[in-house]
Amino acid sequence: MNVIEAAGLSKIYGKGSTRVEALRDVSFGVAQGEFVAIVGASGSGKSTLLHLLGGLDRPTSGEVYIDGENLYALKEKERAVFRRRKIGFIFQSFNLIPVLNVEENIQLPLLLDHRQPDKGYIRDLIATLGLDNRRKHLPSELSGGQQQRVAIGRALAYKPAIVLADEPTGNLDSANGREVLELLKLAVRQYHQTVIVISHDMNVAAEADRVLRLQDGRLVSDTRGVSRV
Amino acid sequence: MKSYTSLAGRYLKEQRKRSILTVVGIVLSVALISALGTMGQSIQDNLLQRAIYENGSYHFAYSEADSKLYGEMKNNALLDRVGAIHDGPKTKLDDTFSIQVNEASEEAFGLVPLHLQEGQWPQSPDEIVVEKWILPYLPGAPKPGGETELTGPDGKPHRYRISGILINSAADQHSASSSAYTLMRAEKAASLPEMTLFMTFRPGVDISDHLPEFQSKSETFSANNRVLSYMGESTNDNTNKALTVIFGTLIGLVVLSTAAVIYNAFHISVLERIRQFGLLRTLGATPRQIRNLVLREATTLALIGIPIGLLCGWGALWLVIWLMVANGFQILQMESFQLQWHNWIMGGSVAVGLVSVYLAAWLPARKASRVSPVEAVKGAGSIVQESVRRSRFPSLLQGFGIGGKMAAKNIRRNRTKFRITTFSVVVSVTLFIVFHYFIREMFEMTAASNEEDRIAFSVYGYEMSQNGTKSFVTNDMLKKIAALPGVDDVYSIYQTPLVNAWIPSAKINPDFSELTGINFETVTQGSESYQEASAYFKLYDAARFREAERYLVSGTTDPQKLDQDNAVVIVQTVKTGLRDSEKPAIMELSRLKVGDKLKLAVPDDYGAEKPRAKERIAIEVTVGGILSQNPFDARYQRTDLSVIATEGIYEKLAKLVPKELQADYPARASLIGFDVALADGADAEPVREQLNVLARTIPNGRVIDVAANQKEARQFTLQMQIFVYGFLTVIGLIGSLNIINTVQTNLLLRRREFGLLQAVGMTGGQLKRMATLEGVWMGLIGGFWGLVAGTAISYFLYLQLDELQGMPFQFPWLGALVACVFAFGVGLLSVQGPLRRMAKANLIDELREDG
Repeated sequence: MNVIEAAGLSKIYGKGSTRVEALRDVSFGVAQGEFVAIVGASGSGKSTLLHLLGGLDRPTSGEVYIDGENLYALKEKERAVFRRRKIGFIFQSFNLIPVLNVEENIQLPLLLDHRQPDKGYIRDLIATLGLDNRRKHLPSELSGGQQQRVAIGRALAYKPAIVLADEPTGNLDSANGREVLELLKLAVRQYHQTVIVISHDMNVAAEADRVLRLQDGRLVSDTRGVSRV
Repeated sequence: MKSYTSLAGRYLKEQRKRSILTVVGIVLSVALISALGTMGQSIQDNLLQRAIYENGSYHFAYSEADSKLYGEMKNNALLDRVGAIHDGPKTKLDDTFSIQVNEASEEAFGLVPLHLQEGQWPQSPDEIVVEKWILPYLPGAPKPGGETELTGPDGKPHRYRISGILINSAADQHSASSSAYTLMRAEKAASLPEMTLFMTFRPGVDISDHLPEFQSKSETFSANNRVLSYMGESTNDNTNKALTVIFGTLIGLVVLSTAAVIYNAFHISVLERIRQFGLLRTLGATPRQIRNLVLREATTLALIGIPIGLLCGWGALWLVIWLMVANGFQILQMESFQLQWHNWIMGGSVAVGLVSVYLAAWLPARKASRVSPVEAVKGAGSIVQESVRRSRFPSLLQGFGIGGKMAAKNIRRNRTKFRITTFSVVVSVTLFIVFHYFIREMFEMTAASNEEDRIAFSVYGYEMSQNGTKSFVTNDMLKKIAALPGVDDVYSIYQTPLVNAWIPSAKINPDFSELTGINFETVTQGSESYQEASAYFKLYDAARFREAERYLVSGTTDPQKLDQDNAVVIVQTVKTGLRDSEKPAIMELSRLKVGDKLKLAVPDDYGAEKPRAKERIAIEVTVGGILSQNPFDARYQRTDLSVIATEGIYEKLAKLVPKELQADYPARASLIGFDVALADGADAEPVREQLNVLARTIPNGRVIDVAANQKEARQFTLQMQIFVYGFLTVIGLIGSLNIINTVQTNLLLRRREFGLLQAVGMTGGQLKRMATLEGVWMGLIGGFWGLVAGTAISYFLYLQLDELQGMPFQFPWLGALVACVFAFGVGLLSVQGPLRRMAKANLIDELREDG
């Protein structure tokens, strides 16, 4: 069974002369443990699609199922809780909470759920991310690559059903970018995570199991096994 | 970290500066409300105490009451204390002086305005309290504790022991007739056919509700209205209503501004972090969790800010009063101030603080919780809605180079933030203007006085002066007395003949006749038509003219100049009853200006035969100076034009008077005595002794001794002044701090933006100019709206005050000017410090800081 099912997703912004069709009737499914890249020119609707998959925005029409749950049939509060438990986000601009240290940032989704983190798992995660000696540092004391690794840790902390990453390497140099990518792949392998990455970066697409290409809001191609070619 | 809720504490701790500024906002607001509350309550207590001192503490009275009514009052469950006074017959002591021994029940001594100077109240019908000044004239000239024989209340001679001494009454001394009081047993009161009864209600009884039923019991009912008004229980419903509206408005204003200031402080802090909250939303925080975070922050800040605010408010008051007492108000001691800790005010301040904090937190919290996560992750900076509206008018700031252009853009771009910041300037300016206006009018109505309250003694020598030959008062004598330690100044008293004022008809204030129903008689001389008003005609010596200068509205009070110009000084403001209402009103009787002419005339009905009816005796004089009120005696006359003249002017009139009237209009202005003003805090005793010695050398010389009352009155005035100025200082202080706090918060929040501007090459100077211009603009706009709101609310208060006492509306120029200049200056200066620090700070750090 697919862990993500997108059915007929459309998103229209504005009205009249300012009307923009950001996404037109996009449908696809993603299986558990897949590493999917969504590529396309800027303005092609990549970010809109990702936001809709993550339940951050509302589609104009169409539906999103995650783990069999119709995301937009949920109430606002239920969707927030669902997001917290099932979806991990990684952003281009890291978006860490500046007043929390590395460890706390990673644990935050659990804490929002009033849960005590599984210490072993978190320690393991931090070690995997290579942040062992940075656990008590604040985001402002970290490099960009390190910050993004924290963001990945945060996205994985709850062992979500899917991880959505919006240009995760966009703000990083190539070495750091590669490292982040490796970590995401590691997550797919080690924790059997489903990861969807948006990127301009052809390196990212090259690493993915499957590449979805968007153009003017339409899904124009769906290629599998690129990395193996 | 155990729970996500610790995030609240983290934010507060990590962003210490911002938290401190927010706490300061709360502290200032709570300080403001508690200080104003305490001050207002102290002023009311003070006024009430003064009213009780002067009028007695009883609530209502019946004169000519009989024993039946007495019994009825005694047994009435609504009443607390019932006192009875029975007046005795007046008995002559010698040709001049007389005394009347009254008997009063034990309760009555506490209910009527009698004040012991020494000793104790009479404990039996054989004891008596008398005024100090009458002691030497009593049979046997007894000392306190001694005995004397007087006619008792029953008309029979009785021997009394003097158990106590009453404070001298000025009226009794002038009329040369004193009242003494002995104790009346309750049994006797129950059997007397006629007495005066004084009653108070039990605590907790709604006085104004129950007064009418007591009023209907007897026609001789009278209420102690001044005391009742200050208790908010006036018999006049209009008064109670007006007072309720006034204090409701003021309290509402303070509460609203407190809430607004706290709201602003908090709102800015949340608004700037809205992206952070959006971020939490992407991580799956529910709106409720976000609201909880914000409210938790609010609770922490409130718990810190409110107690400090209470202490600061109290401390600021104490400090201001202490400083004032230490500098120049020596008559008062810190102990004489009852700066009381009122639990209800402090409780109210805490409640207002808490409600404001939660309200202030709730709205931004709701906003934060509704932030769209998409917006949050998309935006690189803050999510504040930016206005796309183009203004049709180019901003004035455009003219100030690139700094000005940027300032104009910043203000336009982020209107919400600009409005929030400006709002606190508006609040401060409005508060200051309104309270400045109100407190001055209130002071004017209740506590203002003139030079009269510095006069402790007057010395008269009647006989000699009335002969009109030579006065006992000599310049040497005045100089010698003025030089006594503790004496502030000495003022001559002239015999003042009756004079009417002929005011050119066109110069009479038409409203005066309209509102009072008083029409003066018209006299025509030549082609001129005059209205003949009686004049309150006074001659002043140089010393009195010197004091008069303080009240000068226009012209001069220099006696030499007045003589040269054949001019007089007038007071045309009067306080008179209105035709259709009970309330008094302050208005102008005439509209004379400096340089206008008027005539002074001997009244035509002088003498039984009205000999002067045909050919009037009048001289023309010029208005040389106009005073706002009379410097001595009553501040306002009721329907008389006050005319103050030099000896020279009077003598011009006296020259025209025929021989038969010369006894009343002596050719030379004659001195009949002098007033002695004491310096504040001076010991009256040595002066009293000297004056008594002097009086014994003058035939019929008498010293009118009001030193004890004068000291009380003066203390009251000074205390009220301190409260009033203290009040304004505290408002000004807290208002300024509030503006500083807001401006600094605003700058602090924009550190990143400033860093960015510097990064793209804006110089420190340009940056400074930009921020300064923004500050100036904020001061201007805030000052303007503050002025509008302040004036509007002042006018509203005026309409209410006008219900209590008619008066003209005076635009609050002074308060407005002070407030605006302050707002502007404080706004301008308070940007400088943070800017300087910012210029020195590390650019990179500021850019990195995730705002």
